[in-house]
Amino acid sequence: MELRVIENTEDELSIEIAGEDHTFMNVLKGTLLEAENVGAATYDMNPEQSGGQTEPILTIKTENGADPLEELEAAAAEIRSKTAALTDAFDDAAA
Amino acid sequence: MDEEYDVEFIEREERSAKFLVRGVTPAFANGIRRAMIADVPTLAIDEVRFIENSSVMFDEQIALRLGLVPLSTPPNEFDEDDVVTLSLDVSGPATAYSGDIVSSDEMVQPAEENVPIIDLKDGQRLELEADAVLSTGKDHAKHQGGVSVGYRHLQRVETVGDRGEFEDVDPEIYRGVIQEGDELVDTEEFDHDLTNRYPDQEVAVEDVEHAFVFSVETDGSMSVEELFTRAVESLDARAAELEDAVSL
Repeated sequence: MELRVIENTEDELSIEIAGEDHTFMNVLKGTLLEAENVGAATYDMNPEQSGGQTEPILTIKTENGADPLEELEAAAAEIRSKTAALTDAFDDAAA
Repeated sequence: MDEEYDVEFIEREERSAKFLVRGVTPAFANGIRRAMIADVPTLAIDEVRFIENSSVMFDEQIALRLGLVPLSTPPNEFDEDDVVTLSLDVSGPATAYSGDIVSSDEMVQPAEENVPIIDLKDGQRLELEADAVLSTGKDHAKHQGGVSVGYRHLQRVETVGDRGEFEDVDPEIYRGVIQEGDELVDTEEFDHDLTNRYPDQEVAVEDVEHAFVFSVETDGSMSVEELFTRAVESLDARAAELEDAVSL
């Protein structure tokens, strides 16, 4: 996973997340949209043969003065707590 | 979102299972599904050294067939670069089966004994040595641990009144699992047709939010429980990597 910031202003962030596909990007986008101070979150990905930008680009717009980079970090942490809780619930059921 | 997950098994066998997961978002459910198919690594034969092949097929064709034989993959024992050597030596007249493959590692065995590799006639012989490597379904379908992985919304069924006595009844087909009050019922029990279960009543059917019934079948390289846990782990690993990269 390699990150490259394309645009970074006070309330907007565009970042390339190289090496990821829909599997992770959609989970990340979905989690970002659940955050209170995230107004918009989306990612764009082009097919392999398109000849252009094929790595996914994540764009976040925040509200209420929140820092988009911090929101991204919080979303990653949120995914981790989700996976931990889900694994626990699954292990309980499987035991 | 609240993190109240709840998992309940509806069907559970060695290689296939149906289970309900409550509390996940559609995005998360799909992430897990995709990870189960493409991101959980399994062992498969990737390189074959032929010592003798006097069968009717080319080396490459036999190598392809060997690659498709599922191999049991114990968790956390192997890394991406590890190689497990296997061998096969069968003389005709006989059929070479996946069960004839001899592994150098006790933990790694063909998950299926009865996959025919090739029929050998009198005087034909197949002797080879093969290397199995660990990789993901993204790389090649032979490394796909989840053979059939999908999910459906759990559906809530409520009776809303009586059906007209002389009305024509059309079948109401639903496939999956329905919820009646607090009880879960597999639609197989009533041949997937709600009019069999509620012959005289009108019913309303709606999706239960954030409740998904996963149907998972593996190729035998690992159990369903293992596959699911490792798919969630792979999402977690990527989130951890992102968290680290951003915080720097």
